[in-house]
Amino acid sequence: MPLVRLMRRPFFWILALAIAVFALAPVFGNNVALREALILDAVYITLASNLNLMLGYAGYINFGSIVFFGLGGYTCVWLVNSYHWPLGASLLVAGVCVSVLALIFGLGILRLRGAFFALATVGIVEAVQAFAENFTPWGGSSGIYLSGDIFTPLGGPARALWVIYFMMVAVMGLSLYLSYAIKSSKFGLGLLAIGQNEDAAAILGVPTPLYKALVYSASAFLPAIAGGLYFFKSAFIQPSDAFDLTLSTEALVVAMLGGQGTVAGVAIGAFLYEELRGYLLTSSMFANFQLFVSGALLLLIVLFFPGGLMGFIYRHFPRTQKVLE
Amino acid sequence: MKRLYLLAAAAAATAFAATSALAEDTITVGFTASLTGPLNVDSAGQQRGYEFWRDEVNAAGGIKVGGKSYKVKFVTYDDQSVGGRVQQLYTRLINQDKANFLFSPYSSGLTAPATVITEQYGKIMIDSGGAEEKPFETGNKYLFMVITSASHYLSGAIDALKKYDPHAKLALVYSDDPFSKAVLAAAAQQAKAAGLEVVMDESYSPSTTDFGPIVNKIVSSNADAFLGGGHYSDGATLARQMHDQKANMKWISILVAPADDKFAELGPAALGVTVPSQWELQVNFKPQFGPTTAQFAKAFMDKMHAKADYHAASGYTVGVVLQHAIEQAGSIETDKVAAALNATDITTFFGRVKFATDPGHHGLQAAHQMVLAQWQMVNGKLGRQVVWPEEAKSAPIMFPIKQQ
Repeated sequence: MPLVRLMRRPFFWILALAIAVFALAPVFGNNVALREALILDAVYITLASNLNLMLGYAGYINFGSIVFFGLGGYTCVWLVNSYHWPLGASLLVAGVCVSVLALIFGLGILRLRGAFFALATVGIVEAVQAFAENFTPWGGSSGIYLSGDIFTPLGGPARALWVIYFMMVAVMGLSLYLSYAIKSSKFGLGLLAIGQNEDAAAILGVPTPLYKALVYSASAFLPAIAGGLYFFKSAFIQPSDAFDLTLSTEALVVAMLGGQGTVAGVAIGAFLYEELRGYLLTSSMFANFQLFVSGALLLLIVLFFPGGLMGFIYRHFPRTQKVLE
Repeated sequence: MKRLYLLAAAAAATAFAATSALAEDTITVGFTASLTGPLNVDSAGQQRGYEFWRDEVNAAGGIKVGGKSYKVKFVTYDDQSVGGRVQQLYTRLINQDKANFLFSPYSSGLTAPATVITEQYGKIMIDSGGAEEKPFETGNKYLFMVITSASHYLSGAIDALKKYDPHAKLALVYSDDPFSKAVLAAAAQQAKAAGLEVVMDESYSPSTTDFGPIVNKIVSSNADAFLGGGHYSDGATLARQMHDQKANMKWISILVAPADDKFAELGPAALGVTVPSQWELQVNFKPQFGPTTAQFAKAFMDKMHAKADYHAASGYTVGVVLQHAIEQAGSIETDKVAAALNATDITTFFGRVKFATDPGHHGLQAAHQMVLAQWQMVNGKLGRQVVWPEEAKSAPIMFPIKQQ
């Protein structure tokens, strides 16, 4: 049983500990400000980890990962608003629908490789956004506004934000374990082979089209749920926010900074990136030139840590390779 | 040495006393502005209005509550024009920065997420930068809006048309963005109610640069009145191409673009074009509270070295309305101030302000009227004149548009 095998490794427990600390940190002292900062971290970690399945393992650059997030958000908000579904069911349906859609998309566009694939993913973002802008049940370009009453089933707005936080942390945790499980499986090995040399992998018997479509679809499930939670929490969704290419690009940058292809690196990269942005935005010293400072820091990291954060750690502390995946 | 310690302790104690005394007499107002991201230009205007109000109030000794004066302190962050960030920052403003009152971020799309947080903590938030009505239909108790909402943007134009040309044939051509669509959808209904005929109703992509085919369609629809537009570049291009292709409209109302002084660069194509505006420098309401338009415009020019626009005026008005409500309530407690806001019915230089109090629209602006400004020749130069409503006008209306 693969799960039992995973549980024997220390990294499984390191992850569990990290997620538990993450979930419980704002509970002490009822620190809602910390909670609001951490929930954004969780969104970034979820997006970057799932993107990493495509980017880090299979070697496909996906600029359109935000489509999953936005479509998940729309599906969930729509079900809650128009059909008064409970949040949990809406999230699950959003995740499944977006995954199935990704599988269908994936079988089509994954015939493309390299730069052509990357361009096609940008095209998908544009197409889906145009669809949302013209789809009347989704409110067209003015989007959907949720009433404050939606938080009542979760125990009122104050409690609802806690519930949403724990759900978001759970989605983040599942993303990390999914990355880890795929990496340690035969499926993951096939993906890594595709990432190294797709033709060679095909000749060696890896069913490349199927594997690629499957991983594309798998990388859609949890971001869709995260999108559902995020826009439910905002009580508002509109096409320009749901399909914001900036967030897609940030997820790519984060995955590369942390160390693509690693589980821990991508998560730590996303966490540090978002914490840095959050700190710069609110610090009295840097707030007025936060973009300049974050730009300079990113430049330094790219110049001096080309392998990302994990590359640096592996090189200087080789023994960590056995513990941190 | 011991003495030095004592001295230091005494100094620290005084400093502490001074800060706590200061904290007692300060009202903290929190908000986020979109310093980066797509909304930054419009958001900056609103923020200047907020800041100008703060400086004026503090220079005049602060807000007076029951014999005590409170200075106004701002805490503000950049929200990057992102909804998730807005929620993080408003949570921080309320819990860490202990803001007593909040102003809204710019745009309806950012105000809605902020409202989830402010309503939860029962904090008053006054909105001047989001004209959509939907956030006010979701049962909020502490959200108030000082500007006219999207569905009334073109009400003045429809009224004026009904008066001057009851048989007008309307072409509605507008950018495919949430705001323009909401404005024109409401205008189409109002036109029908007023008995005007709509002969064309079409939206275009916000990135359109050539309006030739659209103008041809307008001409062949036999329309003689145009209502539409969206942002600066598309609105200006539409006006120019309608003039170049001799569409011979008797009436043209375009959103947003003609409110910019740059619009004069169009020359003869600008003549006669009308724009709905929340506020213009020529508007002459008699204020019951706060400065007159002339005083506001001059003080703003002296301090900010820029002509006041409606973003600045509505931002300033948010402050004035809050100040009025606090002084009426005689308290800075949220529930008392909210009650005072619910009862507010005052005229400032910006116009009348009164909030809807029925649960289905609570906080929506119920009294402020938009004006209609028209580009006319003033002393041989193109300039905007207020032509509607009659009681606020600074020049007679030009109808039909005389092409030159």
